[in-house]
Amino acid sequence: MGGQACVFYGAAQVSKDVDFLILADEDNFDRLRNALETLQAPRIAVPRFDPAVLARGHAVHFRCKAPGVEGLRIDIMTKLRDLPDFEELWQRRTVVADEEGMQFHLLSVPDLVKAKKTQRAKDWPMIEALVMMHCRENLSAPTPEWIAFWLTESRSPERLVDLTIQFPAEAGRLEPVRPLLAHAIAGNLPALREALDAEVRAEQEKDRIYWEPLKREMEAFRRDESTPQ
Amino acid sequence: MRFEDWPEEWQEWAKLTPIERFRESEKIFAQYLAMGGTLDPDPDPASPFYDPSQWNPRLAHGRAGLRVLRRGAS
Repeated sequence: MGGQACVFYGAAQVSKDVDFLILADEDNFDRLRNALETLQAPRIAVPRFDPAVLARGHAVHFRCKAPGVEGLRIDIMTKLRDLPDFEELWQRRTVVADEEGMQFHLLSVPDLVKAKKTQRAKDWPMIEALVMMHCRENLSAPTPEWIAFWLTESRSPERLVDLTIQFPAEAGRLEPVRPLLAHAIAGNLPALREALDAEVRAEQEKDRIYWEPLKREMEAFRRDESTPQ
Repeated sequence: MRFEDWPEEWQEWAKLTPIERFRESEKIFAQYLAMGGTLDPDPDPASPFYDPSQWNPRLAHGRAGLRVLRRGAS
């Protein structure tokens, strides 16, 4: 769901770890434990692997020791900020298959874009690239849903202006949802850039507030684990 | 930036299929590791997962991290 998904979608060239969003289900946790055993992947940081902890939005981190994947980090989550539950995300996932039939199940591009709206600066150029790639690949046969996605999530000022010229009715309709479209419609690039920056800052603040209690919990987990029993 | 303004390398990357990108990424990553690249996360104080007590500066500034030794004229 993270950097590796961005590689498939063309928004990144490499990722140093693999992030999985999984169904929080006891059978599935058993399968995960078996897979981690095969990969010889112990947990490497707080929090502990606990469904209740995952359900609060934490990620659990593992590092593989099995031959061929030595050192590879794996992050597991079951809940993402501002995104629906796993079943809904699974329904709209993208499936990519290779020549041998190996399947890769990816968060859909719109869901991945939402998941990437974090306080980390490095995620924002990725969002821009994801939307740009999606737009490039689907612009010849746009659906109303895709047009709305591009107009509400594009982060490139020039691309936004182009989109409002190409889809003026949709842009007008979406202006109440994303007020900065007014600057795009007017072709006011300086104001648009400023509004895009403000949008990032607001979203980063939301992410920071979301993680604040979780970070406090992580501190407590660290203290617990460093306390001799 | 518009797609047409992307650097040529990225335009080439965009033209690949998802599976081709994944395979190319595997090759790039193998090279990265062969050159001593680390699998440790880059220190990112903005990340909610960042734990300064677990970050080892040797990894970012020592042999495991990739660093620029010399910049060309470009």
